[in-house]
Amino acid sequence: MTKRIFHSICFVAIAVFFASVILIMGMLYGYFSDMQQKQLKMQLELAAQGANNEAGEYFSDLPVRDYRITWIDADGTVLYDSDTQSAGMENHLEREEIQEALSSGYGESRRYSATLMAHYLYTARRLDDGTVLRLSIAQSSILTLVFGMAQPISVVFLIAVALSVFLAVRISKSIVRPLNEIDLDHPLSNEGYDELAPFLRRIDSQQRQLRGQKSKLEQKQTELDAIIGNMNEGLLLLGEKGKIVGINPAAMRILGAEENPVGADMLTVSRDPQLHGIFSKALDGERDERTVSLATGRYQISASPIFAEEKAVGAALCFFDVTEKEKAEQMRREFTANVSHELKTPLHSISGYAELMRNGMVKSQDIVPFAGKIYAEAQRMIRLVDDIINLSHLDEGVEDMRRADVDIYDMAEKAVGELESQAEKAGVTITLKGGRFVLRAVPQLLHAIIYNLCDNAVKYNRPGGSVEVTIFEKENNICLSVSDNGVGIPVDEQERVFERFYRVDKSRSKEVGGTGLGLSIVKHAAILLNGKIELHSVPGEGTTVSVTFQ
Amino acid sequence: MRSRFDEQLELLNREMITMGALCENAIASSAKAVTDGDAALAEPVFSLAEQIEEKEREIEAMCMKLLLQQQPVAKDLRTISSALKMVTDMERIGRQSSDIAEIIKMANISASGGAKEVHDMAVAVIKMVSESIDAFVKKDTSVARAVIEYDDVVDGCFNRVKKLLIDRFSQPDANGEQTIDLLMISKYFERIGDHAVNIAGWVLFSITGNRE
Repeated sequence: MTKRIFHSICFVAIAVFFASVILIMGMLYGYFSDMQQKQLKMQLELAAQGANNEAGEYFSDLPVRDYRITWIDADGTVLYDSDTQSAGMENHLEREEIQEALSSGYGESRRYSATLMAHYLYTARRLDDGTVLRLSIAQSSILTLVFGMAQPISVVFLIAVALSVFLAVRISKSIVRPLNEIDLDHPLSNEGYDELAPFLRRIDSQQRQLRGQKSKLEQKQTELDAIIGNMNEGLLLLGEKGKIVGINPAAMRILGAEENPVGADMLTVSRDPQLHGIFSKALDGERDERTVSLATGRYQISASPIFAEEKAVGAALCFFDVTEKEKAEQMRREFTANVSHELKTPLHSISGYAELMRNGMVKSQDIVPFAGKIYAEAQRMIRLVDDIINLSHLDEGVEDMRRADVDIYDMAEKAVGELESQAEKAGVTITLKGGRFVLRAVPQLLHAIIYNLCDNAVKYNRPGGSVEVTIFEKENNICLSVSDNGVGIPVDEQERVFERFYRVDKSRSKEVGGTGLGLSIVKHAAILLNGKIELHSVPGEGTTVSVTFQ
Repeated sequence: MRSRFDEQLELLNREMITMGALCENAIASSAKAVTDGDAALAEPVFSLAEQIEEKEREIEAMCMKLLLQQQPVAKDLRTISSALKMVTDMERIGRQSSDIAEIIKMANISASGGAKEVHDMAVAVIKMVSESIDAFVKKDTSVARAVIEYDDVVDGCFNRVKKLLIDRFSQPDANGEQTIDLLMISKYFERIGDHAVNIAGWVLFSITGNRE
């Protein structure tokens, strides 16, 4: 812009200079011509005076001046010429100024002289003797004038150019300076050209709009980053040819990537063939969903291609952790199978005995023992169904269970009392030790815990064995421990005994009785009462189960 | 011109990783078949071995084309020439995995037949193969060196298996056929370990330029 203004100013200055020089020259030329004409006329008058007085002698010793003097006879014959020999000259009668002078006494004209190849001014006067005296002078042309003045003009020109360049630099800078100094970050604080105000206002409003949109975008981006970064599901974006474009921390954990693999080839992160199959299919433009076992667990992976202009340019892979879900599903399946099996066994016995009796194949004295067996099986089923109902109540975290202040020692005493006869039959002694502590708990649940633990301790014991129930305080928490010196639980099954229907010794289950739900009930009741279960068992030596209430 | 060459090198890298993954699968499947004594598990190994062979030919052709058309020098030349060597080792791994599968299919080795020693050896060899491929993928010299050192573990395993099998022979009710089969299987494992060492060596060469 500065350049443009500078150029314009220089151009204008130079153009004005030339225009004025040309105009001035034109005017000067007219003025000089007039002056010349007047001078010529005056000289002619003087010369005519001289010629009239001195007649022919006047020309004999006339010094040659700037003028050309011609003396012409009335018939047009040249009598004298100051420049050339008069003898060879043509007749001048037809010349305009001569004609004029002959008729009116004075004449003038301006002609291009072919003889001397220049413009000439002519003036002629008729003398008293009828002859004509003519004076002429070469008229200087504009060019000669210009050439004559070339030196001063060029000096003036140089000065003018220098001045205009200097001024142009200063002016163009001062015009542009306010524009350069505009603070576009704060458009409204600028003073300067009023003409710019609408632009500045517009810029200001657009800047505000932009800032608003930017902060909105940033907020959205942070939200999105937070969601993607913190979600448990893995998210992986692949570009063309399986290059990783984006990956969230969960996906990195799932794939076992150590450092951020963005930009790396997917194959360098995981070369699992199943995974490879899924994402290469997605990159070919096909959706796919599969459950795949990776080193870190089982994942349901759904891959969808990303299209741009009808062409698959990438793929988005989502990893859902289904390890727990599949485990839970398997447990549910096992549970259903177990329940039906457990319920079916007593029913088979009942149905078998009843069938024998119906067909009259039982002697009358055997009916009572048979009925006793049917009764025992039915009782077992009732216990089983009761346990299942209890368990499902616990599963739902039943609300109608009111907490109350319970003396845990009383509860234990009651449970031990209920089991005494059973223990006696099995030849096991139960002892209760410890102090009285009051616990805020649901009495039914606490009873279920103590009863089931003691029941197990008695059942899985040997004749002559002993069960010890201890209540004590440990680190401000009330602790209940039931230990026996019975059969114990093998180490690799200790984890599983709390599962529903899980029996360590499946073949003895019927003999011992029990439903396989006892410890499961204990576990759930303890969870509801904020209790922590610890199991310590050595096969063949005994088991200690302790519950710490927090 | 260079960008096209880079693209081709990248493709070569991808194909190599894919082939490595196939090898890992093959050896893992046949090892599982050995340790579980289940011949059905070895079934997929045969098709895997075929795929590996096909990949070998593909990669060889690709390398030849690159060598002829691009006339690579320095690191690129090392990458391509070591790839050429590596695919041979990988192909051997695939072939020997399928040989193991073949033995299992014919001999029907029971789960108890493959003792703990054989199981340990299988685990060690799988680790070696996996890590040699890892070394290639990550271009990691330390992993490659670890693989080369780990070969001693596999050799130790082989010696233990050998002793165990000698003991078995000396027992009166020795099952000669099964014992010999186990010996062959462990020899194959040992060979696969050596191939993994070769691969690791070529990885080192492609990175450092020194054949150690």
